[in-house]
Amino acid sequence: MTEPAILVVDDQSELRLLVRITLQPLGKIATASSAEEALLHIRRTPTRLVVLDVWLGAGQSGVEFCRSLKQDPATSGIKVILLSANGNQPDIDAGMAAGADAYIVKPYSPRDLLATATKLLQ
Amino acid sequence: MLEAILPPNEQQRLAVLLDLKILDTPPEERFDRITRLAARLFGVPIAMVTLIDAERQWFKSRVGIDIAGSPRSTSFCAHALLQDGVMVVEDATHDARFSGNPMVVDAPHVRFYAGHPVSAPDGSHVGTLCLVDQAPRQFTEEECLVLRDLAGIVTHEIAARQLQDHLAEQRENETWLRALLENAPDGVMMVDEDGAIVSLNPAAEALYGCTSADLKGRLARSLMVESADGIADRVHAGQTVMMEGTGLRLDNTTFPLEFSVRALRLEGKLHYAAVVRNVAHRRDSEAATRERDARRSKYLATATHELRTPMASVLGFSELLVKREFDQPTGQELVNIIHAQAKVLISVTNQLLELARIEAGGRAGLRMGTHSMTDVLDQSLQTLSPQGKNARIKLIIAPDVPLVAADPQRLQVALANLIGNALNYSKADTMVTVTVQPQEHRGLPGVEVRVADQGIGMNTEQVIRMYDAFYRAKTLPEVPGSGLGLAIFKEIIELHNATVEVDSAPGEGTVVSLVLPAAGGRR
Repeated sequence: MTEPAILVVDDQSELRLLVRITLQPLGKIATASSAEEALLHIRRTPTRLVVLDVWLGAGQSGVEFCRSLKQDPATSGIKVILLSANGNQPDIDAGMAAGADAYIVKPYSPRDLLATATKLLQ
Repeated sequence: MLEAILPPNEQQRLAVLLDLKILDTPPEERFDRITRLAARLFGVPIAMVTLIDAERQWFKSRVGIDIAGSPRSTSFCAHALLQDGVMVVEDATHDARFSGNPMVVDAPHVRFYAGHPVSAPDGSHVGTLCLVDQAPRQFTEEECLVLRDLAGIVTHEIAARQLQDHLAEQRENETWLRALLENAPDGVMMVDEDGAIVSLNPAAEALYGCTSADLKGRLARSLMVESADGIADRVHAGQTVMMEGTGLRLDNTTFPLEFSVRALRLEGKLHYAAVVRNVAHRRDSEAATRERDARRSKYLATATHELRTPMASVLGFSELLVKREFDQPTGQELVNIIHAQAKVLISVTNQLLELARIEAGGRAGLRMGTHSMTDVLDQSLQTLSPQGKNARIKLIIAPDVPLVAADPQRLQVALANLIGNALNYSKADTMVTVTVQPQEHRGLPGVEVRVADQGIGMNTEQVIRMYDAFYRAKTLPEVPGSGLGLAIFKEIIELHNATVEVDSAPGEGTVVSLVLPAAGGRR
């Protein structure tokens, strides 16, 4: 069994830490604080799951980043979980339309995030 | 004596008579000249144009008699009205219909009567032209023909009179209509079958900034950027169609246009009546409303994000601590994060409430008074002092600073937010200079508070967005704050009618200068 390669992208250090600790049972986890950083990591390191904050700060949209990953044949196989403070149906629909595999609204239970990630990696 | 029966068309006859609007009007030469002529021609003392009303006969014109009318029941003319030709009574005392008639028995002692009906334009008999003598006499066939012709002239004059009334009425209507069109606030245009402008009012001229002569004959569709072809079917189906678009003037300038149009037939030809109007004002206010709504909804989304992010940490880490085992240092780190994020949560909540209170209260929510700016500033600095940063502040107070009109509590919050930012976005070994000095405020005495730091500064975009709620320059992620401080600062400053100037460049520090109007007194 290969080690799951998970990347957490969030501009808030506390939230990166939260996801990292939450998903620790699944193996080693890399973190990135911006879309550029995340893209660099994905190009260098085989990645199976990206946990992506919708609000990346500095005008960056996690939804757009998700769409670009899913549109690029080289990265379209990577599973994406979107994390967002916006739980309105139109926001959720926009996230799913961008190709996200799951959409989790903050604040969330770490147990739910772990269960979703586990299922996506099976 | 016999009373005359009513004519079979009595009701319609009366309606027509009323419609002539001739009853009880002053004498008119057009009728008087006929009665004068008749009296002289036939050598009778009395000649009249009589109109038969429901209960009376009324004399529109009379010669040789003083009364204006008499009851219909004793009227000779009521009898004459019933026939088409001349009615002649050569001697009333020998006529069963009139022998007991008070007009015969008493004054005016009628013996001879000859009358011929006169008509309204629709042919209804409305009265007579009649001759009366106090002596009996004969009336020849020839005289009957002359009386008939004179009655015909009366009938003609009645018609002419009505026509004249109608014309006057129409002229009056036209005057009103013209005044209405000349002064209508909206542009009105008449367009012919081919789409060419036939006529337009001054508002339409003003709208297009040119004269009627410039526009007449032009195609109406050339006065709008968009095509109106899509509405043709509905207009031809008889609907009034309203459309919005862009008006195009002859000099190619444009304006937001609204027009409504409907088809009509004029002298057998298809035409279009159009009302045109400049809706710039309304579009502006609609755009402003849309912008406000968009800002509000973005604000709400951002506020949600700013509240849920620390909540995610508090909830997430506390659940992990409850469910999983951690070594002591890691556990302590997580507890510290929870504590810090809970503090962020309460600070964002408080600031959101503060901002909402200030916005909702407006100027009426301020407790205005006359205060010394240095006192307000002292209070502000005290709220900052627990952070141990006062040592970094260099205070310069000029002499003769006027008092200001201010809500001291609010102004203190605004200044603390501003100075707090200057401290947070500059290095701990640099100074923040706060200067208070007299300064003109829109041409009147005022007080300037100038806050200058040697911090990281801002680029143009950051300066433009510095007041946006939750906007934070992310260049120094370790700087604490909710991003609401300057939004609150701006609200408070605006309510105080103060002016603000910002001078900043990346790496060169920031100078914020705000000037409040002086209250009038001096310190």
